[in-house]
Amino acid sequence: MIEVQGLTKEYDGRRVVDELTFEVRPGVVTGFLGPNGAGKSTTMRLVLGLDRPTAGRALIDGRPYTELADPLRRVGALLDAQALHGGRTARGHLRWLAASNGLPERRVGEVLAQVGLADAAGRRIRSFSLGMRQRLGVAAALLGDPPVLMLDEPVNGLDPEGIRWIRTLLRDLAAEGRAVLVSSHLMTEMALTADHLVVIGRGRLLADAATSDFIDRHGRTRIRVRAVDPTKLAALLGGTGHDLDATEVDGGAWEVSGAEPERIAALAAADGVVLYEIAVQQDSLEEAFMRMTADSVEYRAEAAL
Amino acid sequence: MRSAAFGAFRAERVKLSTLRSLWVTPLLALMLTAGVTTAVGAALGGRDRNITDDPSIGVFYGLNFGQAALACFGILLIGQEFNTRMIDVSLTAVPRRGRLYGAKLALGGLVGLVVGAAGTAGAFAGYAAIVPGAWDGPPLVRSAVAGVLYQALLVVFCLGVTTALGNLTAAMGLLVPTVFLLSPLLSGVPGIRRVVRFLPDRAGQYALRYVDDPQVGYGHWTGLLIMALWTALAAYGGLRAMRRSPTK
Repeated sequence: MIEVQGLTKEYDGRRVVDELTFEVRPGVVTGFLGPNGAGKSTTMRLVLGLDRPTAGRALIDGRPYTELADPLRRVGALLDAQALHGGRTARGHLRWLAASNGLPERRVGEVLAQVGLADAAGRRIRSFSLGMRQRLGVAAALLGDPPVLMLDEPVNGLDPEGIRWIRTLLRDLAAEGRAVLVSSHLMTEMALTADHLVVIGRGRLLADAATSDFIDRHGRTRIRVRAVDPTKLAALLGGTGHDLDATEVDGGAWEVSGAEPERIAALAAADGVVLYEIAVQQDSLEEAFMRMTADSVEYRAEAAL
Repeated sequence: MRSAAFGAFRAERVKLSTLRSLWVTPLLALMLTAGVTTAVGAALGGRDRNITDDPSIGVFYGLNFGQAALACFGILLIGQEFNTRMIDVSLTAVPRRGRLYGAKLALGGLVGLVVGAAGTAGAFAGYAAIVPGAWDGPPLVRSAVAGVLYQALLVVFCLGVTTALGNLTAAMGLLVPTVFLLSPLLSGVPGIRRVVRFLPDRAGQYALRYVDDPQVGYGHWTGLLIMALWTALAAYGGLRAMRRSPTK
């Protein structure tokens, strides 16, 4: 489990991470979400002890990362897949990592096979595509079979098949009881991968909630309606009589916010409007995120749900 | 935590053996130190055996070239990690910065000792095979021991300076011209010579000489001690930089 407590980092008086507090629990994939420059990478660097916080602290199972003995057995991290020496082979890179934490050599072959790089094990990293480097970075994170994983933008450079692979991998790792923190600025990907979300903007915590709760709370639910006779529908929904927040979208279809589908159906029946489409539509995570940040233009921190 | 320190050292050893551009530099140093001495001895030895009154200059002629490769090794050992930002990965594997740095110093010093011993032995053997009299004289043991230590100290010195600077390019730009070009050149300039003799390479190389130079003003072993002090200073500067933040 990762515990971040009041974590703050300033560079030249500018706050990059601002009193962040959250937890990454075992058994679920926690998505670390925010626009580029929100402070996601800095937060991860602080957790790993690569930078020193101005205030606050980050703990791994109750202890700072820098005090862990054989940290690769506790936490697997992928920060920058490009931060490698291109002159080494994939196997060579993993061999020194294994040696540093007293991990058995056989783990090198195991993780290379797990990430699909077994055939490229003897190739120099400089010949690797970005996607292959990401896979090697994931292999390095898995080397010590750690109960905590922390991956910064792991889908960068991956093709659709690779993205699907990493999504399945992360969900499987969480299902095994590991704590998984994965950052991304790709909302649709996060909606599919993460059970829980930690959303930050300008270094501050904006939300800490289950993915579905986040969408329920910040996204809108709309009811899309079509009728056989569009004029009658327009009269029903466009009028002021029923106190409905309805707008005509395209070709005679209407969208109604803040009402139950049962009520719309009942109103239509009472007025003799024959509906042939009535569908509940929910905002995507991306739309919910946009609405939330628009609601709090100054990125006011909001209480955790 | 003896085992953890050993793990950090083992990781450095594997890093060295898995990167060709890194392990060729000490090999090159060895070949130059022993080979150039032998080649030059062979070229000159038959005709003029008294090119200088100090045979040690002939014995360690190859070291002038070998030490450049050895310095590059010291610089590259940590410098390539700064350049590729792999230092971040190293620090996630070995988060104790002093331990990571200590492992690098230990490996660099050890390689310097091994290459220094082999290179010095090769240079003496190659020179003596061609030029008689190289084995003569009591300073032989001192000169040989100093030849080994000089090379080990040089690696650690360059490693320390590079870590203190936190940048491969800056270290190359500072160390290579000053140590190998400026320092020998300036030692010929009368006024500056008084200062230049205290530079690490000048002081350290004085320990190799058979013949006393009254203008130097300190003893042979003192010369090596001066170089050792420079090395300790560089290593400490590197440790401070490492503890502060090596990656920003």
